[in-house]
Amino acid sequence: MNTKLSVALVGIVSCATLLSQADLRAASPDGSEIGRILMAENAAKGVKHKPMPIANDATFLRRVYVDLIGRIPTEDEIRKFAKMPKATRRVALVDELLANARFADTWTVFYSDMLRLRTNADGGAAAIAFVHKAIEDGMPYDQLAKRFISANGKAGATPEVGFVLGDNADPMALAGATSQVFLGIRVACAQCHDHPFDVWTQHDFYGLAAYFGKTRRVETQFTNTVYTTEVDQSTILWPPLGEGDASERKPMPPRFPFAFAKSDGASRYISRLEQLRTAKALALNANKKKKPEASVGDLLTSLDKKVDKAARGKKRNTLDVAAEAKRDARNLRIGSGIASQSELRTELAKLITNPKNRYFSRSFANRVWAHLVGRGIVEPIDDLSDNNAPSHPKTLDYLADEFVASGYDLKTLVRMIVTSVPYQRSHVYGIDELTQNELEDAFLATPMRRMLSEVIYDSVVTAGHLFEFKHAAGQNLKTVWQSSRVTKASSSSGSVAGQLVQTDGAPKAMPAKNQLAAAGSYDLENTIEFDFDAILKKSQEKEEVAIERMKVMSKEELEAMRMQQQARERRNVEYIDRFAKATIDDNPSFISSFRMASPAAPDHFLRVFGQTDRTQLGKHRDQSPSMRQALMMLNGRLTHEASRVGELEPVYPLLVGEKANLSQAIQLVYREILTRQPSKDELAEAKTIVAEAGKLLDGMADLRWLLLNCDEFRFLP
Amino acid sequence: MPCLDYRLSRRAMLGAASATFMGFPLRQLLALEGTSHPQKAEHVILFWNGGGMSHIDTWDPKPGRPTQGEFEAIKTSVPGMQISEIFPELSKQMHHCSLIRSVAGTQGAHGRATYHLQTSYSQFPNLIHPGFGSVVVHEKKKLGDLPAYVSVSGRAPRSGYLGQTCEAYYVGGPGEKDPYLSFPADINQERGNKRLERLAKFNSRFSSGNTNETLKATQTSIKDAVRLMRSPALQAFELDKVPTTTLNRYGDTAFGRGTLVAKQLVETGVRFVQVNRGGFDTHSENFPAMRNHGEVMDPALASLVEDLAESGMLEKTLIVMLSEFGRTPRINDNAGRDHYPTVFSCFLAGGGIRGGTVIGASDENGEQPAERPVKIPDLHATFCHALGIDPAKEVMTPLARALPLVDGGEVVSELFA
Repeated sequence: MNTKLSVALVGIVSCATLLSQADLRAASPDGSEIGRILMAENAAKGVKHKPMPIANDATFLRRVYVDLIGRIPTEDEIRKFAKMPKATRRVALVDELLANARFADTWTVFYSDMLRLRTNADGGAAAIAFVHKAIEDGMPYDQLAKRFISANGKAGATPEVGFVLGDNADPMALAGATSQVFLGIRVACAQCHDHPFDVWTQHDFYGLAAYFGKTRRVETQFTNTVYTTEVDQSTILWPPLGEGDASERKPMPPRFPFAFAKSDGASRYISRLEQLRTAKALALNANKKKKPEASVGDLLTSLDKKVDKAARGKKRNTLDVAAEAKRDARNLRIGSGIASQSELRTELAKLITNPKNRYFSRSFANRVWAHLVGRGIVEPIDDLSDNNAPSHPKTLDYLADEFVASGYDLKTLVRMIVTSVPYQRSHVYGIDELTQNELEDAFLATPMRRMLSEVIYDSVVTAGHLFEFKHAAGQNLKTVWQSSRVTKASSSSGSVAGQLVQTDGAPKAMPAKNQLAAAGSYDLENTIEFDFDAILKKSQEKEEVAIERMKVMSKEELEAMRMQQQARERRNVEYIDRFAKATIDDNPSFISSFRMASPAAPDHFLRVFGQTDRTQLGKHRDQSPSMRQALMMLNGRLTHEASRVGELEPVYPLLVGEKANLSQAIQLVYREILTRQPSKDELAEAKTIVAEAGKLLDGMADLRWLLLNCDEFRFLP
Repeated sequence: MPCLDYRLSRRAMLGAASATFMGFPLRQLLALEGTSHPQKAEHVILFWNGGGMSHIDTWDPKPGRPTQGEFEAIKTSVPGMQISEIFPELSKQMHHCSLIRSVAGTQGAHGRATYHLQTSYSQFPNLIHPGFGSVVVHEKKKLGDLPAYVSVSGRAPRSGYLGQTCEAYYVGGPGEKDPYLSFPADINQERGNKRLERLAKFNSRFSSGNTNETLKATQTSIKDAVRLMRSPALQAFELDKVPTTTLNRYGDTAFGRGTLVAKQLVETGVRFVQVNRGGFDTHSENFPAMRNHGEVMDPALASLVEDLAESGMLEKTLIVMLSEFGRTPRINDNAGRDHYPTVFSCFLAGGGIRGGTVIGASDENGEQPAERPVKIPDLHATFCHALGIDPAKEVMTPLARALPLVDGGEVVSELFA
């Protein structure tokens, strides 16, 4: 390795760019206001540093693909972008990606992390599928929040109830979670004592918890159906247990402890929201005449309105309206005695999502900003208390207000941020750490970010063309030893008690009883696909019985599994391990990690790279490296298969046959994996790597393995 | 997430300064007292029996009482100490082992009880407390190439606020080779090593001039991974060199092999091994199930204690067998026993604990603690003490509140003498 080459490769910015020179004026009009406000704030703060330049097109391309649709761009997509008109292509690309089906997949992870939704929790899978649909349909964020906060119903059948069930409908946990997740206010400490560093008192906390006090989680004995409903008696009593006389404890009246923005008439963003909503309602009405069938969402909205109307007009007793609302909802989907919505929580949801509640919009805007830019305007992102002031309050307010005015539209917010100057700035390094921090704090440089675990996974799959079969059928036939375990008694009928297990090598000796090695089990990198649509479809089945039957079935299955396991441990049942040679076609394909059950198992690729278990409030993804990550990338099946060259891959004809051209092959591979051209030195180096391997295809596999494993791949430019 | 660790929190300092006895800071006195029984344990093997193991059918038999059930009580190598007949081999090793028969739990649901027993803390919304294994590897330096904390045949508790470096390394089936520890099958050593060499060059080029800590840490993680891949210590995960006679002595079962792997791991320097076993939730047909558990566990435990005692490793290795609760003394209509946290037992051996000791007692039917109730945090404080870890040491949590390693608790000092 010569030194010239090293010098030429310092950092990504100085690397050869695939596309033409960076367009340094490229800030789009949409995000430009953000840049202006931010610069003014920096000036007022006395920040003297010069900002880093806007990143070049290749960098922007990779960044925005990763952030918006959760994977790196393909060769075709790179070429397509290169052909778009230079002056407008960044914004045009953003709009294209916002419309891409993968946008909903990718941002489902953002919401699932935030709301701590888990496919293995009661109703969790349906809740995740619901979020996915909500993003696809462009459901306003305040609506989404409202429905999660207020819903009652059966796990799965009413997807939104997954949020409340995620904390087992525990009022204390929900008070802490709801305020921290939706408002960025940490009151959980006040559960036991007045908040040590903040203004919240234990009384405030109990007042908030009281909104959840009448909600109960119920589990039916026979069918294991889980649902939430409302009861008359609140569990939240004041004073707290152990303080004062127990007989004096009385139900705590619900009280919302957080102040709204003072309405001084200047809230133009709210009137813009109202105008937008009126226009939408008109359009909806016009549509309704054509389409009489109302969706669940529409009905719930109209239900909201009924309660509203009564509260405002006092024409009827609120309770009557509530009863009517309940009846409506019941007829619609429950068909039994479950209260479809919690009145108390509906009230709370309105307070939380009220446009005058600045915590709600600021907290979300800050989360999305931090997710995309790599640093929150408030850090930590879920602590918006008064003694943790935002670094750029006007920028945050601008984002929050525009978000409200857009009708709480996620895509508008994302579009605004990724077309803004701060998002598009380059990284800074090679200077002292203090200056680097100051630049990044002032959003004059973007901090380096590692891809999310799901993004790394899908990007490896994309670069390695593994979403589909890449080897021609029959090209990778392999002989493996298959073993199956049969009971001695039933061996004549050949009933298989265990799973089929494949081993690459011949079994050493016949393994001792029970010692059958599940050798080569790379199952930490793949899992069963998770079909959002199917789950939602299931949840919409009006046949409640079907769901209950399903649950019963699964219980029986569990029991069967348990018995099977027990039987296996019993000594008197003898098993025979049968080994047989079998020929398989080793031509794997992988599913998108965005469609995997989440959170994945603790040692799964996704978890190893930082996906959390989504139980702990305030625990965010750990993006730091670990030895386990290294082992997974160095030796895992995913990187191995992505590196192997398949005949159906675009690079193949550049390696074998008449059109073979090694330089072009190397350039293609660089673009496919790193979204850039190799430099001259890199090209020469790659040729050496390929040559040294002896076999051309092996050499190319080695090169791809290197590019997939190197830091440049997983850290965003 | 880095370990949010601070040794001298304001509160801890104030506490240390204000609490005095005859002019001596209380903490110092306690520390002095601590040295009167030197902490010998360097390693822990925790057998986690999930589901709630019956105490009466194992460590706390009640011969002649209606609650005793089908098993006899048998004599052990310790005069006066009886255990269940399902442990014939282990009964010969009990002079190395101790029992606490008055563990007083508070949680009767699996999830909550497991959490309490494994962390010493009660579940608290929105916060995850570290399991005991994480505490140990947080406090004790890693030895050798192998991960400091290994969980065999099942999951260990989370490391919570102690961070990812304190998570357990997971081994699915004991004795199986971890496919991630060697190059993929079609990549031979030479080619694999060449790749690693080149990768180091690619990465150092990319990070040159960049002070980003994460980039440095990424390279360190690769170095660690490669060191582990090449380490001869990896042999400790495998059983193919173990003579069949030894394998049979431990019982050629998943549990027996897990126990053997645990032994090999601590001998190679691993600090904490958790060996998991399930199937103790015996709501029906308790006795055949427990007999089966005995047949599987007895040879493994007895051989482990015997072998470690013989090699001298037992002194340095704390062996604990624990479950989330005991089971009802009353035998239900399905010949089963149900969840019972009120009183149950804990099995201990080695690690400087005086062998042959019985701490506390349940009442005649095994229903209530009759003598010296031991709370769950007391157990953890005791384990910490055996390892020379200060259970009161505070660690910062994401709630911006420092918490001690163990949720209070007092050391069962009679175990050490």
